[in-house]
Amino acid sequence: MKPARLLLSFVKRAASSVLILFLTVSFLFVLIRIAPGDPAQKYLSPRLDSSLIIKIKSSFHLDKPLYDQYFSFIKNASAGDLGISYKYHRPVKEVIFETLPFTIFFSLTAFILQFIGGLLLALLALRNYKKFWDKFLSGGSLFLYAVPTFVSGMFFVYLFSVQLKIFPSSGIKTIGISEENVVILFLDYLHHLFLPVLILSLAGLPVYFKYFRESLEENQHKLFTLYLRANGVSERRIIFQHLIPNSLNAIIAYAGVELGILFSGALITEVIFSLPGMGRLAVNAISERDYPLIIGCTLTAGILVILSNLLADLVRMKIDKRLIKGLLH
Amino acid sequence: MSRNRFSIFHFIQLLIVVTIAFRLPLLGETVMLLFSYLLLVITDFRTAVNQCSFGVVDIFCSLFLLVGIISPLFFKRKKLRTAKPFSVSQYVAAAMLYVFLFAPVIANSNFDFQKDISVTRLLPPLSTVQSFHFNNEKENSGLLENFLSYKNEVVKNSFDAGIVFFDSLHIVGDTVSYFQNGMENSLLLSSLILKEGKPEVTNKRFLLGTDELGRDIFTRLIYGARISLLIGFCAALLSLLIGGALGFIAGYTGGVIDILLTRVNDMFLSFPIIFFIILILAFFGSSFLSVIIVLGLSGWMSLYRIVKGEVVALKNKDYFITAQQLGLTGTKLLLKEALPVIATPVIVNTVFQFGNVVLSESALSFLGLGVGDQFPSWGAMINSGQQYLSQAWWMIFFPGAAIVITLLTVNDFGRKAAQYFNPRLHK
Repeated sequence: MKPARLLLSFVKRAASSVLILFLTVSFLFVLIRIAPGDPAQKYLSPRLDSSLIIKIKSSFHLDKPLYDQYFSFIKNASAGDLGISYKYHRPVKEVIFETLPFTIFFSLTAFILQFIGGLLLALLALRNYKKFWDKFLSGGSLFLYAVPTFVSGMFFVYLFSVQLKIFPSSGIKTIGISEENVVILFLDYLHHLFLPVLILSLAGLPVYFKYFRESLEENQHKLFTLYLRANGVSERRIIFQHLIPNSLNAIIAYAGVELGILFSGALITEVIFSLPGMGRLAVNAISERDYPLIIGCTLTAGILVILSNLLADLVRMKIDKRLIKGLLH
Repeated sequence: MSRNRFSIFHFIQLLIVVTIAFRLPLLGETVMLLFSYLLLVITDFRTAVNQCSFGVVDIFCSLFLLVGIISPLFFKRKKLRTAKPFSVSQYVAAAMLYVFLFAPVIANSNFDFQKDISVTRLLPPLSTVQSFHFNNEKENSGLLENFLSYKNEVVKNSFDAGIVFFDSLHIVGDTVSYFQNGMENSLLLSSLILKEGKPEVTNKRFLLGTDELGRDIFTRLIYGARISLLIGFCAALLSLLIGGALGFIAGYTGGVIDILLTRVNDMFLSFPIIFFIILILAFFGSSFLSVIIVLGLSGWMSLYRIVKGEVVALKNKDYFITAQQLGLTGTKLLLKEALPVIATPVIVNTVFQFGNVVLSESALSFLGLGVGDQFPSWGAMINSGQQYLSQAWWMIFFPGAAIVITLLTVNDFGRKAAQYFNPRLHK
């Protein structure tokens, strides 16, 4: 594969991401415009002079034609300017960037745990193919899939925080802990984040387990595995060098779709444990009627999912060269 | 294939028998209410229309349905009995549908009923509370009063001034002093309903305990099932309509419309749906209707993909082209050739979509964005129980279990339907 063609396929894939992003922003604009309530009214008390409305409207460019408003919205959104939060009286971008790193770290940790846990459990299930552990894990994953994050979250909080008093039920660190000793600080974070990460990982674990198990099982019954076995290749080598790489491709495509579900789980977990993440910011913004902040959070989450889908596709291209050809033709 | 197996119809019979055994007085009063209402309709139509509230219609429907279900089940037993393999989800689904239909009969109290909070708040499951009743018997004269007295008995209100819950009571002379959580109050003996010179004490049992406002969790759970299932049905139907229609248009016409719709579909898929739902609910306010519309809008993507794929595949099938060239009209093509093929994957997907909606609705209620406080919702019950986690585990356990059981049943049904329709999966 020539580098130029590689670049072309990359640009094509990125262009479709940009198009979806553009559609998302336009969709947000439409939503904002059809929402009830005049934006100018929010700044105006009814006792003030009615001629002020015209002034405020022109200062917000609300008197301009709709397409002008649309273009300036796109321009501002692409520059990262999403207005000023009603509650914090600071630019939305700043407020979101304070909470975004935590959400990304939190979701990423849970994602890695889900992915690896799902793979390991699927391998365990396949080693005991159609025996007790396989059936137990399959049944357990079906059960776990039906347990919503907030139910399992409340259950774990009740068990570990209320009854056993092992883990704290909220917050990210102990109040008043000294910032100097890095080891203690790290352990404190770990202590506080253990339950949230566990709950968020448990929510997606059955999904990855199911994908991995189905995909590995399918590949196990293919002819190339039989051929490798007949040639006396060790089972370990078959699994790690042939079965897993062949299964990864489909699973990474699923992982991109599952991210939206991961974000909703992260949002609920953040609310349960009152963690300083973007999900809780968005939920709190609703009760405060902080519209710019809600729009900002939605857009940021959308961008994150689009980017990670792009990343997932690039990883798949790296794994499977046929996909690049598919994009070029 | 044994015919003696415990079938789903036996199960429904069992449910009905249990309901009748426990709620016979209520059903009797409902029959009386129906008669007095019919008399009222004949004599004074305008008042009858004014008195016709949702609660009255609801309990009448329950009565009619109960009678309607009983009669064929008991008389045509042999025809209906089928030998089906045992499956738990089937029975749970039947029980849930039963609860959905007969909620007022099963619950037998208002979901917002609260009285004497100091005595009844945060009671553990299976606890009983003593109560006495005020003596306010009136002579019932006239059809309207007669009807209203029956209505008060049958259609439960959220407040009842004639009942007092207490912890203990003493009788001194002609006054009754009773304790409510350490507070002492006293009353004249003659104002109460008496039995052998003492106030008649009745025990009220709270099967699954009470919440922080002294409301019965069992009742709220049963009415919550109505809310969850109703929103699930409506939103899944809306998703089906949107996804099906758009998918059919995109698949059948192709071209620019197809590309445009697929891009919009991609956009919805790449959106973290919970943020989208929160955004819309924040803008348009959360009510019963807006929750249904938002959940319906957020679930059309998979149905769109499936319908579009099926239609595109169908367009190139020989039998479809033949049917087209034979000159079948558009309606006939759709009904006879297209729908039977598309229906099976769509049904399976709609079942799963139903489960997703139930889950999303409870998650939204948990976040405080659900249908509102005037309806009991499982998610909202868990949300309010969050504060009392250390004192009252039952406030969270029972609604949580209800959600999990519902989702397990729906997912199992979806898988069964997929297996049933897909011959390749039969092994």
